Amino acid sequence: MVVPIRLKVNGKEYDLKIEARATLLEVLREQVKIKSVHQGCQEGECGVCTVLLNGEPVYSCLTLAVQADGTEVTTVEGLMKDGELHPLMESFVENYAFQCGYCTPGFVMKAYYLLNKSDDLTEEAIRRGLVGNLCRCTGYVNIVKAIKAAAEKKRSGNWW
Amino acid sequence: MKNFVGSRALPDLIYHCPKDVESALAMLKNIKGECKIIAGCTDFIPAIRRGAWSFGDGLDVIDIKCVDSMKGVSKEGNTIRIGAATLLSDVVDSDIIRKYVPILSDAVDEMASLQVRNTGTIGGNLCTASPAADTAPPLLVLDAAVNVKGLDRDEVVSLYDFFKGPGKTVLGEKDMLTEILVPVMKLDERARFIKLGRRVAATLSVISVAVWAKVKDNTFEGIRLALGAAAPTPIRATKAEEYLAGKEASADVIDEGAKIAADEINPISDVRASESYRRDMAHVLTRKAISACVK
Amino acid sequence: MMKDRDTRLVSGKGQFVEDMELNDMAHLAFVGSSHAHAKIVHIDAAKALAMSGVITVITGKEILEHTNPLPIQADLKIPGGIWRLAKVYAMATDRARWFGEPVAAVIAEDERTAIKAADLVEVEYEVLPYVLDVKEAMKPDAPLLYEEWGDNKQVHLKFDFGDVNAAFKEADQTIKLIYSEGRASAFPLEGRAFLAQWEKNTEFLTVWGTFQTPFMARHNIAETLGLPEVKVKTIAADIGGAFGNKIHTYKENVVALASMLTGRPVKYIESQREWFVTGPHQRDVSWEGEIAFKKDGQVLGLKATVTHDLGVESTNKGIAATSIFPACCAVANAYHWKGMHIEGYGIVTNKSFYCAYRGYGKDKGIKFIESALDQVAKKLNMKPEEIRFKNFIQPDEFPYKQINNYTYDSGDYPAVLTKAVKMADLNGWREKQKELLVQGRHIGIGMAFTVEPAGVAIPNCQMGGITQARVKMLYDGTFEVYSDRTEIGQGSEKSHAIIVSDIIGCNIADIYVAPVTSDWIGQGPLSSRGAVYCASAVAKAAKILKEKLLRYASIYFEEAPEDIDTGDGKIFLRNDPEKSFTFKEMAHKVHVFPGPRGMGEEILKAHDHLPDVTTSWYSNITAETGSTYTTFCASADIEVVEVDLDTGITKILEHTHVHDAGKVISKQIVDGQIHGGIVQGIGEALTEELVYDENGILLNCSHADYLMPTALDAPDIKIGHLETPSPFTETGSKGMGEAPIIGGKAVVLSAIEDALSPFNVRVNESPVTREKLRNWILEAQKGIGGNAV
Repeated sequence: MVVPIRLKVNGKEYDLKIEARATLLEVLREQVKIKSVHQGCQEGECGVCTVLLNGEPVYSCLTLAVQADGTEVTTVEGLMKDGELHPLMESFVENYAFQCGYCTPGFVMKAYYLLNKSDDLTEEAIRRGLVGNLCRCTGYVNIVKAIKAAAEKKRSGNWW
Repeated sequence: MKNFVGSRALPDLIYHCPKDVESALAMLKNIKGECKIIAGCTDFIPAIRRGAWSFGDGLDVIDIKCVDSMKGVSKEGNTIRIGAATLLSDVVDSDIIRKYVPILSDAVDEMASLQVRNTGTIGGNLCTASPAADTAPPLLVLDAAVNVKGLDRDEVVSLYDFFKGPGKTVLGEKDMLTEILVPVMKLDERARFIKLGRRVAATLSVISVAVWAKVKDNTFEGIRLALGAAAPTPIRATKAEEYLAGKEASADVIDEGAKIAADEINPISDVRASESYRRDMAHVLTRKAISACVK
Repeated sequence: MMKDRDTRLVSGKGQFVEDMELNDMAHLAFVGSSHAHAKIVHIDAAKALAMSGVITVITGKEILEHTNPLPIQADLKIPGGIWRLAKVYAMATDRARWFGEPVAAVIAEDERTAIKAADLVEVEYEVLPYVLDVKEAMKPDAPLLYEEWGDNKQVHLKFDFGDVNAAFKEADQTIKLIYSEGRASAFPLEGRAFLAQWEKNTEFLTVWGTFQTPFMARHNIAETLGLPEVKVKTIAADIGGAFGNKIHTYKENVVALASMLTGRPVKYIESQREWFVTGPHQRDVSWEGEIAFKKDGQVLGLKATVTHDLGVESTNKGIAATSIFPACCAVANAYHWKGMHIEGYGIVTNKSFYCAYRGYGKDKGIKFIESALDQVAKKLNMKPEEIRFKNFIQPDEFPYKQINNYTYDSGDYPAVLTKAVKMADLNGWREKQKELLVQGRHIGIGMAFTVEPAGVAIPNCQMGGITQARVKMLYDGTFEVYSDRTEIGQGSEKSHAIIVSDIIGCNIADIYVAPVTSDWIGQGPLSSRGAVYCASAVAKAAKILKEKLLRYASIYFEEAPEDIDTGDGKIFLRNDPEKSFTFKEMAHKVHVFPGPRGMGEEILKAHDHLPDVTTSWYSNITAETGSTYTTFCASADIEVVEVDLDTGITKILEHTHVHDAGKVISKQIVDGQIHGGIVQGIGEALTEELVYDENGILLNCSHADYLMPTALDAPDIKIGHLETPSPFTETGSKGMGEAPIIGGKAVVLSAIEDALSPFNVRVNESPVTREKLRNWILEAQKGIGGNAV
């Protein structure tokens, strides 16, 4: 069954015709051409498909696109500003918070959410917040470091 | 035997988006053939992907998240009303739940991940009826009930009677869960939920325990115990409750009560844990949870 | 330019295979065996073919018709040992030997159709008896996987080092040892993925994929498909992690065949489920042995047998059985020995095939011996660091000819361990441990020392030690670097850029490290050889190129090359740095003005006017002594855990890691390898194990049940560095990617055992799941004696 939906992705409106069975992951990748969301496990365990839906982190592989009708979706592409990396993304680069990069967009979106939610994240809170995103390369040490460093950037006004 | 195929495709769906409960019921009535009520899809999609559930193309699905009246938490007198389509994350963040029945928000906060909690619903967790469902033990000890609506049905069913087997509830094919009704806890009541998985987080419970207790003059005036992943359904440990009721809340009594609970459950052995470890942990965690309520 | 990759990946501009699209692309889905062991009687694809959108179905029939058996990747001649091979095709032909083994492939217009049609392929099986356990597999009447072998023993190696009998005679005491590891593997978040394009006019096959070793893959694909190697090219896409799991050549053969048969590009993205079920498995060993020592703590001899559960035979997919070699030899680790007798078995069972996972084989010997040393220390009432200090190879003994015929290049083991002890505040923790025990809390402090052999070169094996690198300066003064060191997240691009920049003196931003394709001869980043072979070849090429550039510069400056230097993107006169060219200006002179003519007769007649160097590198020490490995980094892990007796939960409180990887090219990269490896080791130690049920079905085939550490399971990690440069590599670096997972796992078991010392529990199997740990405690409390051996 083909259904029409309207999605706002990274600030841009899209009127799409999709299959009712299509996941948000499929629609983002195939129709909106957002490639930062990765295919991963497709079962809501690994986190590489994580996006923000109305500002909240969700697995795009477990979200039917039709259920996302009328929502705002944010991915790392939407955090860039005029081709500039978001300070959070800069922090990921500076702190070597990724190696193969496959899980990275998911982590950035999760971190963006966590940092916007609280100005006072402890290490424990960061690690707890990161549950739901797996990384096999980094052992999480530098991801946590990058998030703490990004919190500093945010505190000093370097943020959007 | 089925072929081993990696990750199966979702069937073609015929998507229905009811605006209210009446429309949803009408859809259930009018749709011939198989029809699934979907909410967060956090069980629906993975089950299809791994081949546990299989549907032909053209599956009718009714998206219960379209029914706004089924979302939200409110308090009416001494009853908390939780819409079945309320997101798990909203259960965690609800001021009402945190204030009056914090055992529920605490339990849900440990479920899966932020992503799953932002999509999955409390009603979905109950209707999927996994024996390990983490919302069930807290709701059972809070003596919660659920509102079941169907073609010829509109009743309040105690959660105690809700679960029938692994993946099975009192809901018929044309029924839906609309609301969860939870009595508020009084000031002299305590409750605690403890879950044990195989790693620190994002882990299915190997065993979980919920305790609700009313202790007066160091005596169990009231006590309810519920366990998850301990039987074909989430259950109340009624024999242990019987033993503890009216007794002194001493360490020995608590331990004995916990032992009885561990004996009366019926856990399985699977890839996640053995029956003996589940019983052992049922004993350990029940003792811990009761003790926490007694302090 | 180096920042390009980082910027690309963080902003979602990766080019993983899943992101690649070609015109007219079709999709492939595999049909896997429903049984652990079965004859394939008949495959009926009619229903699948009838489905709209299905293009074709490939079964064993097409495989036999169009492909050769997979080439053997290693054939070790073992005098007095057993080494068996089997004829295996890219897909099952007459028989399936493990649950999930691909038996057919559906090619369709889109992925969904292919997957749905896969369920419609009807396979008729005749179920065969199967074995899921090495002991069962070794019984005389066991069902056989390869009848021609007569039994299920694929490999039996025997090693005699030094004089083991004399060693045991001289010893005061011996301890019997038992040790085992559960089945585990890397399973990075991206599985295998391939896009194959057969261009029918030129009869050229291009395959983009998750190739950890494109050059080896090219050869193996060409041989399998019966194509001339010149007509095959493999290109490494961005790869979502590898850790050795993407070295073998297997499913891509079918994807390539599909393209050849349909004339269309074919894409295959492996689902995570398939990754677990049909991916390379590892670990799964059991040891039995005896260690002999003197009462002052000096270890003398070791007798041990290690048995590997190899799953199905896989020397045709990868280089799995060969790992038994280092598993046996690496037991020597950091210590002096007088004699050893080590035997290694590889037994086949009806499970997915063995291949490589970070550590490969050497991890097993090291974990085993570290555990053994802890037992010796306990027996003699010595501290774990004392037993190690007592037996360490000393700094003045390098290069050290170890008893296993490896030559250890350099090191200062006492300094590494001393630093770790200090950084971890070992003594402070021991005090705390005593205090907390009084409060009823069980803290454990573990220790492990790892000497990681890196940079493998084995005869009769595709991992023979071949490598190639090219560094060239372009017309615009930028530099291009090529090598066989595929970027799999381990920082090879960054590393090579730093090396070239350091040597040539150009800016890192002006260096482009090209993605690796099969154009570059070599074995890729396996066995931590990137820092050994690939980096050495790149460094060598850069050094030669620099010499050339100085010669050209000397002509244009009209000064001697010795008076010229480079740095910060410039070439300048040492005693008059204002006189300089940028590399861009240099390149312009070389290419255009005054052009090659300006370089003079000498250079032109030597045909040496091109600023472009291709070279190779081979390890001198391997050439001279036959030592399989070239560098030996050392690391010490000290970990503090708390064990909850009631539940069996192990919590990691602190982890300290000190290492010596020779000259460090990039501290960030090295630290990143350490973090990642240690957390993988923790996963192996506590939660990761592949479990088959009694029917041979893999029970945990997803992340929901194969549990890797989350951010909350992983600890913060303190790292200390020491550098004893390797005399055997061009840069002085040592391979170090595997040491962290080895010590990282061994130390967890050591710490848990220490925490349980009041109960005398021997922690000699893993993963130490909560249930397992709790059972040990219960048994110990009941006085059943635990499992102390």
